[in-house]
Amino acid sequence: MAKATTSIRRQLILMVATVLIVINVVALWSAHIYANRAAKESYDRLLYGSALQMAENINILDSKFFIDLPVSAFETLALSTSDRAFYSIINGQYRVLTGYKDLPNIPFTQLLQQSSEKEKFIPIYYEAMYRGETVRFVALGKRLLEADSVNDVFIIVGQTLDARRAAATEISQMALQFVTLFFFITLLLLLFVIWRVLQPLQAIKQAITERSPQELSPLEADVPSEIAPLLKSINYFMAQLDNTLSRLKRFTAEAAHQIRTPLAGLNSQAQNALDETDEVLRQKQLQHILESSNVLTNTVNQLLSRATLTHRYQSHPFSPVSLDHVIKETCRELVVWALEQQVEIEYLGDIQVTINGDEFALKQMLQNIIENAIKYSPKGSVVEVELMVIDELSETSVVLQIRDQGIGVPDQDKEHIFEYFYRSPENFTSGSGIGLSIAKEVAEHHDARFHLKDNQPTGLIVEVIFPQRKGLSYES
Amino acid sequence: MKVSYVLVICFILVSRMVFADAAQQITYITFPSLNKPPKYQEDVLAIYGAINHQAISPLFKAYQEKYPHVAIHYTESNTRHLYEQFISQPNMRPDVMLSPAMDLQFKLANDGYALAYDSPELSNVPKDSHWRNELFGFTYEPIVTALNSDILVGEASPLSREQLLNLIRSKNHLLDDKIGLFDIQQSGLGYLAWAYDGQQSRSYGRLLEAFGTHQARLYTDTSSMLNALLKGQIFIAYNLVGAYSYQWSKKYAWIKTIMPTDYTTIIMRTAFIPRDAQQPTLAKRFIDLLLSPEGQHILANQSGITPISTKVKGPYSRDELSKLPHGIFRPIPLGLELLIQTDDAKKQLIYREWDNAMFIISNDSSSIP
Repeated sequence: MAKATTSIRRQLILMVATVLIVINVVALWSAHIYANRAAKESYDRLLYGSALQMAENINILDSKFFIDLPVSAFETLALSTSDRAFYSIINGQYRVLTGYKDLPNIPFTQLLQQSSEKEKFIPIYYEAMYRGETVRFVALGKRLLEADSVNDVFIIVGQTLDARRAAATEISQMALQFVTLFFFITLLLLLFVIWRVLQPLQAIKQAITERSPQELSPLEADVPSEIAPLLKSINYFMAQLDNTLSRLKRFTAEAAHQIRTPLAGLNSQAQNALDETDEVLRQKQLQHILESSNVLTNTVNQLLSRATLTHRYQSHPFSPVSLDHVIKETCRELVVWALEQQVEIEYLGDIQVTINGDEFALKQMLQNIIENAIKYSPKGSVVEVELMVIDELSETSVVLQIRDQGIGVPDQDKEHIFEYFYRSPENFTSGSGIGLSIAKEVAEHHDARFHLKDNQPTGLIVEVIFPQRKGLSYES
Repeated sequence: MKVSYVLVICFILVSRMVFADAAQQITYITFPSLNKPPKYQEDVLAIYGAINHQAISPLFKAYQEKYPHVAIHYTESNTRHLYEQFISQPNMRPDVMLSPAMDLQFKLANDGYALAYDSPELSNVPKDSHWRNELFGFTYEPIVTALNSDILVGEASPLSREQLLNLIRSKNHLLDDKIGLFDIQQSGLGYLAWAYDGQQSRSYGRLLEAFGTHQARLYTDTSSMLNALLKGQIFIAYNLVGAYSYQWSKKYAWIKTIMPTDYTTIIMRTAFIPRDAQQPTLAKRFIDLLLSPEGQHILANQSGITPISTKVKGPYSRDELSKLPHGIFRPIPLGLELLIQTDDAKKQLIYREWDNAMFIISNDSSSIP
C-alpha cells in the first residue's frame, strides 16, 4: 500500500509562506532603517538650520562679540514641538558667551581645525547625555576677522530625540501596515492559485473514486500538460487491465468447456464399458477411456503450467540463460517420446546464445512447440530444430526454427493457431489446443516474435525470432 | 451643611496668616485643612505662585473641598523672585509652581526641573496650551494698558499704541513721572511682555523713547502699579495683566482698561510640578483641578481670570473677553521660541537699550515704586 509522504499543497503553502515572510521581514527591516535615517536627516537639518541662523547673528563690534540671536533660530527648533533644546555660544577661549554653560562633550579640537581651514560651515553632529536625556548636538565653528585679530566662536545647538523617534515610528508603522496588508493579500492570492493548480489532481481522484470497479474505459478529464502523462499512464494501465481481464474471462469459459466435454465423453464411455458383455469390446472401450483421460490430464497440466507461468512472469526477474543449452536439453528430454511416435528429432546449429530470460518459461515454450511438431509429423519423419543468427537490414537477430514434415497449416489458419483451444477443423489428433498459445505468451514475455512458414514439400516451420537486445550474446 | 460651610470660611479667615516681606514683596498664606486639627500631621501642598492670593483662593477652596485633609501653603511673590528662589534653594522647592512668566517657567521645564504628568484633564484645554506633559497653561490673559480717564478731558481714549504715543506727545510734561511700567529687570512678566513687544511692533523704539523722556516709574508687579494709578501717582500704566486691570476698572470708573487694537499680546499663566516635589500626588490632583472644567469655571467666575478653555462660560470667559474691543490676539507661543527671552545676550541688549532710555536723561528719576 502506497503511503502519502507529504502533501504537495502543504509543501507549496509552507514554501510560499516562508518566502513571503522572509520578503516581508526584509522589507520591514529596510523600512525601519530608512525611517530612522530619514527622521534623523530631516531633524539634523532643522538643527543645523537653527545653528546657522545663530551663527549669522554673531559679530565683532569694537573687539567685542555682539550676539543678537534671532527668534527664528528658536522657532526652527520649536518645529519639533515636544523636544527640549539647548544651545551655547562659546568663544575661542572656551568661555560661554550665552546659553547653557555645561553642555557635554564639545568637540573643540575638531571645531578649531574647521574654523581655521574651511570657509564654509561643516556641521559636526554628535550625541551626548545631558540632563538625563540623550541629546543630539550640532556644533559649528565660525572665525570672525577684525583688523588685526582673529576670533573663533563656536555655536552648539542640541535637541532631544522625541520628535525624530516619533517620526521614525510613524514611518515604520505605516510601512508595517502596508506590509501586513500586502502579506495577507499575496497569501490569499497564492492560496487561491495553489488551490486552482491542484484542482485537476482532485478531479482525477474524484473521477476514479466515482467509478465502479468494472468500468475500465479511459478517464476523460481536461488536465494541464504536466498532469497529462499521469492521466495517460492511468488510462494505459486500465486498458491493459481491461485486456487481461477479458482474456481471462474468455480463457476461463473455454477451459470450462474443454474440460466438461472430455468428462462427458469419459462418463458415457465408462457407462458403455459397464454395460458391455463382450470382453474384447470392453477392453477396447477401457482403452478409449484411458486415452481420453490422458488427453484430459494433458489439458489440465497445460492449464496449470500456464497458470504457473503467469505467476512466474510477475514474480521472477530475468537472468542470463544459455539458449542453445536449453534447446538441446529439451530435445534430449523429448527424444524418447518422439521415438515412440516413430519421429526423429534433429538438432542443427553450432552457435552458443545467451539471453536474458526465464529458463523455466523458455523450456515450457520449446517443449510445447516441439511436442506440437512431433504430434503433427507423419511416422518416420524428422523434426529439425535449428538455432541460427540472421543479419537482416543491418539488424542481427537470433532465430530458432522448428521444422516438421506434417501436413502443414493452411494460410487462413496460421493466424489462429496461437489462440486458446483453437484447432483447425481438419485436425483429428488429440491435444489440448493450449500449448502454442502458452508458447506465444512466453515468447512475447521475452520480446520474441513468432513467425509461421510453410516447409517444403510439406510441413510447417515455426520461427521464434529473438531480437538483438541487451543481454543477448552469441558466438559461433 | 451651610453652617459648616460658613464656619469653614470663618476658620480660613481667622487662621490665614499673612506675612508680607516688604523688601521682596513675598506673601505667605496658609490654608489649613478642613477636617483635621492642625496639630496633627497633615498633608501639605506647597504652592509658589505669582498670582494674587485673592484671585487664586477660590481654586484652593475647591481643592480642599475635594481633599479636605490637605493644607495648602501658598507663597506669593513676583515672577523673577520665584524663579530665582526655585533655582537657588533646591531644598525648598514647592509642589506646584504657578507663574505668568512663561519664559521663566519654560526655561525650568526645558532644563528638566518639571515632572512629566499626563493629566486626564488635558483634553479639556487647547492643544497648544501645554508643552510636553510638563508645563500646563491654564489662563488666557491679555496684556493691557490702563489709564486714568481724567487726563483725557473729553478726548477719545487711545486705542492703539500709535494713539497712545500721540496722547503722550500731546500731554507732554503732564505725564512726566506719571507713566507706570514693569521694571523689566525685576519682573519676569514685565520682561516677557516687553521683549515680545520688541519682536512684534515697530512702535517699540518710539515707545521706549517716550517712556524714557517722561521718566516712567517702574514697578515689580501689577497690583502696585494699579495702586499707584488709583492714588494718582501715575496716569498711564503700560503692559499690565488684563485680569486685575479689568477688575479695577469695574470698581473705579475712572480707570480705563484698553486692549491695544494694533495687536493684543496674550499670555498664559502656566503651572508645573517640580521633579523634586514632596507631594507629587497632591500636586497632580491640583493640576487636574486647574485644567478641569470645574477649575476653569472657577477661574472664569470667581477668580476674575480668563481661563484657557474655550468651553467655559462666565463673566471672564474667553467668549466675554473677545466681545471687548481688542486688536489681533497674539498669544505668546508656549514652546522653544520662549528660550530667546531667557537668552543672556539678548537680555543684556534689551537691558542696555532700556537703561539708555530710562536713565540717561535724568539719573535721579528713581524707579523705586
